[in-house]
Amino acid sequence: MTIVSPELQSRYGKPARIVAIVGAAIMVFAPMVPWVYTGKILDDMRRAFDPSGLQILFELVALVLLGVLVTSMFGVKLGKYKNVVAWNSTALAASLGGLGYIAAIVLAVAVVGSQKGLGGLAAAEPGLWIALAGSVIASAGSVFLRKSPRATLAKVPSPAWVQILALVAVVAMVLFMAAFAVNLTEVESFLVCCVFIVAAVFVFRATGVMGWLSIATANNRKVLMLAAFAAAFIFPATQDGSDANMTVVAQVLIFAGTALGLNIVVGLAGLLDMGYIAFLGAGAFTAAVLSRSAYATFSIDLPFPVVVLISGTVAALFGLLIGSPTLRVSGDYLAIVTLAFGEIFRITMVNLDGTDGPNITHGSNGIPAIPNLDFFGFDFGKSHEIFGITITRQANYYLLLLVVIAIVIAVFANLNHSRIGRGWVAIREDEMAAEAMGVNTFTLKLLAFAGGAFLAGMVGAVKAYKDTSVTPDQFVFLESCFLLSAVVLGGMGTVMGVLIGATILKLLPEKLRFFDDYRMLIFGALLVVMMRFRPEGIVADERRQMEFHDEDEELADEVEEELVTHHDLLNPEGGK
Amino acid sequence: MKAYKAAAILTLAASLALATGCGSRTEPTTTEGSGETEDKVAKIGVIAPLTGDLSSFGKGIQYSVQLAVKQANESGAIPGWTLEVVPLDDQATPDVGQNAANQLASMDDVIALVGTMNSSVAQPVQPIVDAANIAMVSPANTNTSLTKGADLENPVRPYKSFYRLCASDDKQGPFAAKYLLTKGIKTAATVHDKKVYGQGLVDAFTEYYEANGGKVVAAETINPEDTDYSTVVTKVKSANPEIVYYGGEYPQGAPLSAQMKDAGLKVAEIGGDGNYTTEYQKLAGEAAEGDLTTSVGAPLDTLDSAKAYLDGYAAGGYDVDPGAYGGYAYDAANVIIEALKTTLKDAADVKSAREATVAAIQNVKIEGATGEIAFDEFGDNTNRVLTVYKSEGDAWVSEYINTIE
Amino acid sequence: MDVIIEQCLNGLSLGSLYALIAVGYTVVYGIVQLINFAHGEIFMVGAFGSLTIWLLAGSPTDMSIGFALGVMLPLMVIGGIIFSVLTAMLTEKIAYKPLRSAPRLAPFISAIGISVFLQELVRLFYGQIPGFPDARNKIKYPTITGISGASVDIGGVQLKMTTVFILCALAICTLFLWFYINRTKVGRAMVATSQDQMTARLMGIDVDHVILSAFAVGAGLAAVAGIAQGLYIGDIGYKMGFMAGMKAFTAAVLGGIGNINGAVVGGLVLGVVEAFASQLGDTAWKDVWAFVILILVLVFRPQGIMGAKVVDRA
Repeated sequence: MTIVSPELQSRYGKPARIVAIVGAAIMVFAPMVPWVYTGKILDDMRRAFDPSGLQILFELVALVLLGVLVTSMFGVKLGKYKNVVAWNSTALAASLGGLGYIAAIVLAVAVVGSQKGLGGLAAAEPGLWIALAGSVIASAGSVFLRKSPRATLAKVPSPAWVQILALVAVVAMVLFMAAFAVNLTEVESFLVCCVFIVAAVFVFRATGVMGWLSIATANNRKVLMLAAFAAAFIFPATQDGSDANMTVVAQVLIFAGTALGLNIVVGLAGLLDMGYIAFLGAGAFTAAVLSRSAYATFSIDLPFPVVVLISGTVAALFGLLIGSPTLRVSGDYLAIVTLAFGEIFRITMVNLDGTDGPNITHGSNGIPAIPNLDFFGFDFGKSHEIFGITITRQANYYLLLLVVIAIVIAVFANLNHSRIGRGWVAIREDEMAAEAMGVNTFTLKLLAFAGGAFLAGMVGAVKAYKDTSVTPDQFVFLESCFLLSAVVLGGMGTVMGVLIGATILKLLPEKLRFFDDYRMLIFGALLVVMMRFRPEGIVADERRQMEFHDEDEELADEVEEELVTHHDLLNPEGGK
Repeated sequence: MKAYKAAAILTLAASLALATGCGSRTEPTTTEGSGETEDKVAKIGVIAPLTGDLSSFGKGIQYSVQLAVKQANESGAIPGWTLEVVPLDDQATPDVGQNAANQLASMDDVIALVGTMNSSVAQPVQPIVDAANIAMVSPANTNTSLTKGADLENPVRPYKSFYRLCASDDKQGPFAAKYLLTKGIKTAATVHDKKVYGQGLVDAFTEYYEANGGKVVAAETINPEDTDYSTVVTKVKSANPEIVYYGGEYPQGAPLSAQMKDAGLKVAEIGGDGNYTTEYQKLAGEAAEGDLTTSVGAPLDTLDSAKAYLDGYAAGGYDVDPGAYGGYAYDAANVIIEALKTTLKDAADVKSAREATVAAIQNVKIEGATGEIAFDEFGDNTNRVLTVYKSEGDAWVSEYINTIE
Repeated sequence: MDVIIEQCLNGLSLGSLYALIAVGYTVVYGIVQLINFAHGEIFMVGAFGSLTIWLLAGSPTDMSIGFALGVMLPLMVIGGIIFSVLTAMLTEKIAYKPLRSAPRLAPFISAIGISVFLQELVRLFYGQIPGFPDARNKIKYPTITGISGASVDIGGVQLKMTTVFILCALAICTLFLWFYINRTKVGRAMVATSQDQMTARLMGIDVDHVILSAFAVGAGLAAVAGIAQGLYIGDIGYKMGFMAGMKAFTAAVLGGIGNINGAVVGGLVLGVVEAFASQLGDTAWKDVWAFVILILVLVFRPQGIMGAKVVDRA
């Protein structure tokens, strides 16, 4: 990013650095003074030398900025580490990030302050203006710094234990940030926190740490997985025995699990399915119908793992049924066939009420009052104390869902790197060619549908118990659209992307209740904008990225270079 | 492999340390910094569809509760306590309603809940608030099983914290049937939208009607997503009914009436309280003339007790009409406030008063905006008064007031 | 017998609406192979556009028959068409054109986005305009003297004037379409482009312009359908486009997507089938039958009943 021309940069580079350092120093100092005179806006920002959570976030940005600026002052003295980090780019990202962050806070103070009758910006204390001034000065200085060459951090060899340690630290940091953000009850605090997260991601990218991390990730995939799951298991501990956030987080998991199933069908095999919610519904209804609810029509007392398997199997059978037209239909037509199947499923569930069909689902009443799970005396309906941590009802189901998701991800990862997975990708890229090469396309396509459906069915079974009631109106077409959007938004064919997409689509609406009414409007616009500017999703599968930008030579080179670097680092002895 | 284990343990340790250390500082600040002798705060939750198709009903519920709470605070109904309303949106979807319920359950200062509007949302909400001992008084859920359980032959109350004011489907449907029979109308057609509410009404109507000498000559359904009901109308017309009983809400009920008359089926439509809003006349136009609807309680404008509500609502400057459920919502809030008068008085904090409040509501008797209110052993309103309204011009005029067992 | 005839008329009315909308799907698909998922919303915008004209004209209620049919109705039709066509062209420019060389999934998802966006736009903001009704709920459509509500009794069969109107509208639109496709330069360029885009471009046809025209033609007919539906069932709402769009798409596929005559026939067939499905069977399963037909056609005869070109698209 260049804002000022290179000539100006080289002419004023040195004084600009001093200016930027002064600005950064002011920023570092600012959180030590009160920002707002009342505790009613954002979190409590009115104490001297005792910064609040949001102030600490600002302090972090400021410290990174100051550190980078001072280190890079030594310039050539850094010797071979000169270009390890993109010092100047980092400084620019950090100062602009800090400016954006403080601007968000000022805006929040202005808007919330006037809403709560505290006089808008009149509620601000000098500290806020000091922080703003510091950010402006630092940004003004940073834009005059010369653009740094690409960071070479990614190419620095590092011992395995450093990589593992770093990954663990990152996971812990993500957990901490997630818990911090989710626990913010006020919308404005949450939004400000989101701005920070975006700024932090940009700073990390600028430093080159991201590149290094992605290599470390590739080297230690299993460690990362394990660490991520460990962190996810810890998450309920951050909630202090409250269900308010756990229920949302559990819903995110349900949604993510289903989206991961869809990812097999759409992301790997390239079969567009627009009625996918039906599989979740099939699983949920199966579990509900078999449960001990007074409304259940086939109530049998089966152990839960068996119920999960049956639900998955029923959903998989639906998957086979819906997948069978793929023998003759593909592309957009398949999308419409699946959409029609989804609607047929919903209407059928409504009609199986005893008047228009046999009574299986109680029609639109659905099956309520599903009792909680009881696992060897562990009642999912009650709170439990484990190591002094309260595990609430929703947290119980959250943990159960985590286990299910772990299974889903394990299946997904293994399939992705197996003969079957490669067959799917071949079908996605070019069905004709795949068939010509001896790939059994029909069986593989059916397998994709059945497999994805099985996973969704399993998740559905847990959903039935968590929600205590299953009704047909939970499985409408719009939900299928959301699932598809989660996959597309996050990045087709990647686990991480789908998890991020699902989180964004489920968590943000819950947290941003104030524009409830505008949620769908924004969602629609987002889909269009996303398809226009980044069709490969937030986390792009490399192959996909190429596919979407086949005319972009620069990107192609970049991706290739990255792949080569990766390859070299992953197989040092292999060599070119 | 060792490395993995080490990493896992490390993460666990690091995360635990972080997890226990992190906490938001937002909460304690709300009471700090102001006067020492400030009233304690107890909150009444509202869960209703505040956005989407049914938002005009949902907002009516929210505003009515806010009105009741405002009046109670002004009159100092509960000394030492200030009541607040926490309105939460359920978008008429069970998933969202469930989140709202969990949110309420996790707030220590919530004492009771007015809601929900949709029976399908009430189903997952009931167990959550019951577990937290939060009393739930519903202004609008008509599904019978909410208070009487799965088996209507041997009714068992599923949740002792659940009360409701509006009549369940098994009263409104039969009441309409009773009215038609007294008028000598012996053949009727039924149409419903296959939703919980509509189907329940029609089932109850049909049972009573046929048991007492009436005959249902055609039983049809419509798809609420559809807009053209002419095929159904033609089919109904060929059965020559004297009246059409519709189970559902006005967005479908009103166009159905208009399309009936357009197609030459010039008989009245009679519906439940889902049709009881002036939006019905706006949508159906002239076709609405002579249509009927049932609603629970005596007409608001005939009751002295409703005056405070109607005047207060009119003076409040709210952006929607009270709707069919506004009166119940107002009464629901007042039922809760009445119970709180005894349970909150000496309570140290809200949480410890919850259980007593749930029990106290059972014995509350008030003269509400919708008439006399008391609860039977299932938590249903004992007020058996219902009214049939007739559409005249663009208003509903009361036609027949009676009781039903 | 009366019932059978009346159901036939019901089916034909409904089918004509499907047909008018289906043409839009088929024209666009024939040229750019895109399922314009937002087309149902274009239909909805047409209905709201005509309502807007009526509101701007001062919401006349008791119109004389001459004024109603001679002035008000044509104005509303033209207004509706303008709104629809502008919206369709705008969406093409913003959402589809930049994605022309992208993989197939991208424009499809973009179309879903546009569909949601347009619905919400109308729902949230239509009522914000001073003097306009709140579009969150269904809105009563204005009554046009001589068409709305009036029906004539022909030997026991009630013939609604709205039915006559819809059938006439379909006939006129089909004629117009035939003329447009076969007798105008743009129309013939459309045919050429749908047969082979590359060659058409080489022959000097401005393909971008042709695509834009295809969107415009489809939108115009959808607007007529929107007005017809408003008059026929008496109310409009922001959600009206979804189901209608789905059914119309089914009709287009049934007739053979890409084939304009097929879309008209498919629409009428689907309408009549639906009417008899609810007359003879259980109304609750009506939509299931419509979707089953859709799936069966797609699986066993993807070229539709009118047999357009062989479709093989991955």
